[in-house]
Amino acid sequence: MFPYDTADWSVVDGPMFMLAGTQWPGIFTAIAAVICVWVLVVGNQSEHAQYKKSEK
Amino acid sequence: MEQQIAELTAQVEALTASAGVTNTNFAEAYYYLSIPLMIIIHAGFLAYEMGASRAKNVLSSGVKNLLAFAFMIPTFYFFGWWVYWGFPTGLTFSEGPMGISGAAYASSIAWGWGESAAYMGPNITDQASGVFFGAFAMFAATTASIMSGAVIERIQTVGFVILAIVLGSFAWVVAAAWGWHADGWLVTQWGVHDFGAAGLVHAVAGFFALGVLMHLGPRIGKFNADGSANHIAGHNMPLTVTGLMLIIVGFWGFLMACVIIPGEAWSWFADKQSTIYGTPITLSSLAFNILMAIAGGIIGAWIWTKDPFWMMSGALAGIISTASGLDIYYPALAFIIAVSAGMILKPAATWLERRGIDDAVGAVTVHGTIGLYGVIMLGVFGWGYPALAIDNAPVITLYGQIVGAVVFFLLGFVPGYVCAYILKALGMLRVPAAAEEAGLDTVKVPAQGYPEGISPSSPASS
Repeated sequence: MFPYDTADWSVVDGPMFMLAGTQWPGIFTAIAAVICVWVLVVGNQSEHAQYKKSEK
Repeated sequence: MEQQIAELTAQVEALTASAGVTNTNFAEAYYYLSIPLMIIIHAGFLAYEMGASRAKNVLSSGVKNLLAFAFMIPTFYFFGWWVYWGFPTGLTFSEGPMGISGAAYASSIAWGWGESAAYMGPNITDQASGVFFGAFAMFAATTASIMSGAVIERIQTVGFVILAIVLGSFAWVVAAAWGWHADGWLVTQWGVHDFGAAGLVHAVAGFFALGVLMHLGPRIGKFNADGSANHIAGHNMPLTVTGLMLIIVGFWGFLMACVIIPGEAWSWFADKQSTIYGTPITLSSLAFNILMAIAGGIIGAWIWTKDPFWMMSGALAGIISTASGLDIYYPALAFIIAVSAGMILKPAATWLERRGIDDAVGAVTVHGTIGLYGVIMLGVFGWGYPALAIDNAPVITLYGQIVGAVVFFLLGFVPGYVCAYILKALGMLRVPAAAEEAGLDTVKVPAQGYPEGISPSSPASS
């Protein structure tokens, strides 16, 4: 969503990323952080499963 | 006449505006181009580590290195950048004398949410934040790669990534805030000068690795029952040496990114380049001294070892040993210091090995020991230089540099030691012996490094 009232590049005088000035950039940041944590948790489980398999 | 003056005034204004645009675009491009150059450091570390691994571990070493790089960037975005701006005055998080530090300032420019998000994404009026963030994220990734090589062939992947995040997005960033920032208390109170980050990047990362290695333990077969060490050769020395040369190439980007371009609102000066401390520097200084340091390091290492691995490590040691003062050393002095660093490199690594530390690539010595050596050498030769471009600036002293070296050592070693201890207690540090002996590629990488075969790796030999 264009972050200015008028969909015209001539009015852009600051942030120009999507949804600038709303809560959404923060929500995206939080989701990205959760993805990183989730990948580490799942990756750790998967890694340990592989180690167990190698010990058989 | 008046009309001519008015026209000339308008022309001058137009030229001034045009020069400003050119300067801003040049400054942005300057830091932007330092980023791919620094990525060459990581290409180098990737090749270096994979070559130093035995064939049975080559891809798992690569995966580990790639993940460190990948996790470093978002975590530095989430909180590392805030730490750099929030921590300079110490744990008070107060604003420093230059007014560009403290929790309130950091929260206004370096969080990815709220109003500060304006500076953490595309912004037509901000041509600096993104390229500065990018350069610092690459410094962070460099610290992780330094630690990565030391722990190859027996560390768990996720455990390693957690250590890399602590090092790259926190530990070294605190060191940078304290010793590589105009408001940093090591700078304002002790006159610490570390232009090229010998201490705050290299030593922090090297001693973080030492803290980890003390809990991780040596690779199976590294030490005999009587405590004597075996040499575990990597599977591809040419790849390792080429990787080291790529790191050297990338360091030109690393060091150019340590220079502050003039003429911008955030610059120290309108007309001359400066260091991060505001002290004058030229790229010519870097060209003189980096080249002499590389040469000195290679020559110094060759004197004792005759080994290309140690010669290229010597080149790195040459740069690191002079990095603190690349802005002010005389080239021949840089050469002499680099030769001495190259000469002490192998004996220092051997000393560490005799104490039961299996540092697979010599990272603790090359980056840790030589990093501190460089910080202290600047105290010996740079005594009396103003450490900041302000009135009544503190000056560089030997005792100030020693204080800096001790702080950098602790900021690396303590977090590395404590985090590795916790991960070990959680069973997330070391791979099981069966997996280590089988080879980590077989256990956890769904691909083959050499599907058409390669001669098997040699067993450990004395």
